Amino acid sequence: MTTTMTSVRERAAAAPWRRVYTGDQTVAVAQRDALGTTARLAVWPPDHADGAMAAVDAVLAALDLQASRFRPDSEISWLYRRSGGLFMLSDGLAEAVRVALEAARWTGGLTDPTVGQALISLGYDRDLVTIDPDRRDPLPAPVPAPGWRQVRLDGPLLHLPAGVRLDLGATAKGLGSDRAAGAVLAATGHTGGALISLGGDIATAGIPPRGGWPILAAGQSGQDGADASGTDPAGAGLGQLVRLPRGAVATSSIGYRSWRRAGRVMHHIVDPRTGLPADGPWQTASVAAMTCADANAAATAAIVAGGHAVDWLTDAGLPARLVSHGGQVRYLGGWPEQDGGHIEVPQRSWVYAGTGPCGGAR
Amino acid sequence: MDADREYRAGQVPLPGFGEPDAGCQPAPPRRDGVRHARRMSNWTLAALIAGTGAATVALAHHAFPSVATAAGSSTTAATGGQAAVNGTGGPQVSHAVATTSGSGATVTTTTQTVNGRTVVVRTVHPAYHDN
Repeated sequence: MTTTMTSVRERAAAAPWRRVYTGDQTVAVAQRDALGTTARLAVWPPDHADGAMAAVDAVLAALDLQASRFRPDSEISWLYRRSGGLFMLSDGLAEAVRVALEAARWTGGLTDPTVGQALISLGYDRDLVTIDPDRRDPLPAPVPAPGWRQVRLDGPLLHLPAGVRLDLGATAKGLGSDRAAGAVLAATGHTGGALISLGGDIATAGIPPRGGWPILAAGQSGQDGADASGTDPAGAGLGQLVRLPRGAVATSSIGYRSWRRAGRVMHHIVDPRTGLPADGPWQTASVAAMTCADANAAATAAIVAGGHAVDWLTDAGLPARLVSHGGQVRYLGGWPEQDGGHIEVPQRSWVYAGTGPCGGAR
Repeated sequence: MDADREYRAGQVPLPGFGEPDAGCQPAPPRRDGVRHARRMSNWTLAALIAGTGAATVALAHHAFPSVATAAGSSTTAATGGQAAVNGTGGPQVSHAVATTSGSGATVTTTTQTVNGRTVVVRTVHPAYHDN
C-alpha cells in the first residue's frame, strides 16, 4: 500500500499544473502533461482549483499504472508478459477492460480491445516520439484482431487466451476523463462544475456554465490554419465553437499520430477486422454522448466504420461531426451547424454508466 | 513451505493481491467526517433559509403581480442535474475552455491583453502516444 500510494504521489508531482487564462475569471483553467498527452481542467468556482487538480492527479496516476502499455510497471504490461491465463485484476483495470468489452459489443466489433498485437505489428510498439517516422523494412502480414469475444471477464477475473494482447486505446482516455470529472465533483463537495479533457476527450460533471461549457471542436488536421510556429491567432480553420450543457464529447482523428512503414502511411486507429489502419472517408470524427467512454468508443468506431459511419451514428442517435479528408463537414444527430450552438446528448449510456469502482459517481 | 507458494501450471500470481486498488482513495480521516457533518449542517441550515425564502416569495407571488425575471439571473441553488440539463445556474463563460481534437493533438488556447486588446492565441501541438 505504501509503495503504491507513494508511486501515485511521485508521478502526480512529476508534471506540474500550469494555469491557463482563457479570458474568463469565473472559471479556473489549468493543464499538465499526463498519459502521454495533455490533461486540461476547467472548474468553477475558481477556488476549487487546488482540490480539483489533486483529484485529477490521483485518477490519472492510477489509470496510468493500470492501463498504459508503454509503462513496463503497469498492470496491463504485466499481462503482456504472460502468455494468456486467468488473472485477478485490480478494480480499476477490471473496469477499464469491462468498458472496452462493452464498447466492442456496442459497436459490433468496430472497436476491439484485442487489437494490441495488430498495433505492435504495424510498428506502434513504443512511445510515438520514438517510432522511426519512415521505416523501410517490409510490412509484415497484417494481424486481424483475435476478437473481443475470446476475452472473458467475470468481475475482476480475466481470462485471456494465449497470444491475445489488449489495447484499451478506444476507451481508456474517455474513461479517464469520466473518472476524473467524477472525482473532482466528489472532491469539491458536489458543488460547482468541472470539465476534464484528456488529449481532447472531454467529460463534464456538476453544474455547467450558463448555456453549457464552451468548447472547440477541432478542424481538419494539416489544414488548421496554423502558421509555421503552430499558432493560429485568428483561429481560422481551427473548428467550431459549441456548448456542452452536460455529458461528454470525444474526437478521433487519423491526422496526427501517423508514421510511414514500407512507403505506406500508418496511423493508430486500426480496423480490427483487417489489422490494418482504418481507411475510410473520414479523417476526424467528433461524437457527443452521456459519458466520455461512450463518446470515445463511438468516435473511434466512426473512423473504422468508414462509409457506414453515418448509418451507425444515426442508429445510435448520437450528435456527431464528421470531417472528410477533403474538409467537408457532416453534422449528425443534432450536432449544431452554427458556432455557439448547443449539443444535447442522449440521456443514456451504452458502455459506461459514469460510476467507477471507487465511487466516482457524478 | 516455499513449495506452498509455487504456482501450479496455468496459475499466475495476482497483481496487487492483498493491496488496495491504486485507483481507490483511502478512507477519509475522521476529521474529514466531522467537517462533512458540519458542512451538511450548514447546508441544512442554508436549505431551511432558502426554503423559508422560497415560501415567502411564493406568498408574495400570490399577493403581488409577477415581475419578469432578468435574463441570466438564474440561481445556483438549482439541483446539479436539472441545472446541467438546462445549462443554467453556473457562471457566464464566454471563451472556449478546451478543445476536442484528434487523438493526441492538443490545442492550447490562451488569452492575453495586448495594448488594451484581448488576443486569443491557439497553439496546436501533437502529443506523444495513446494510452
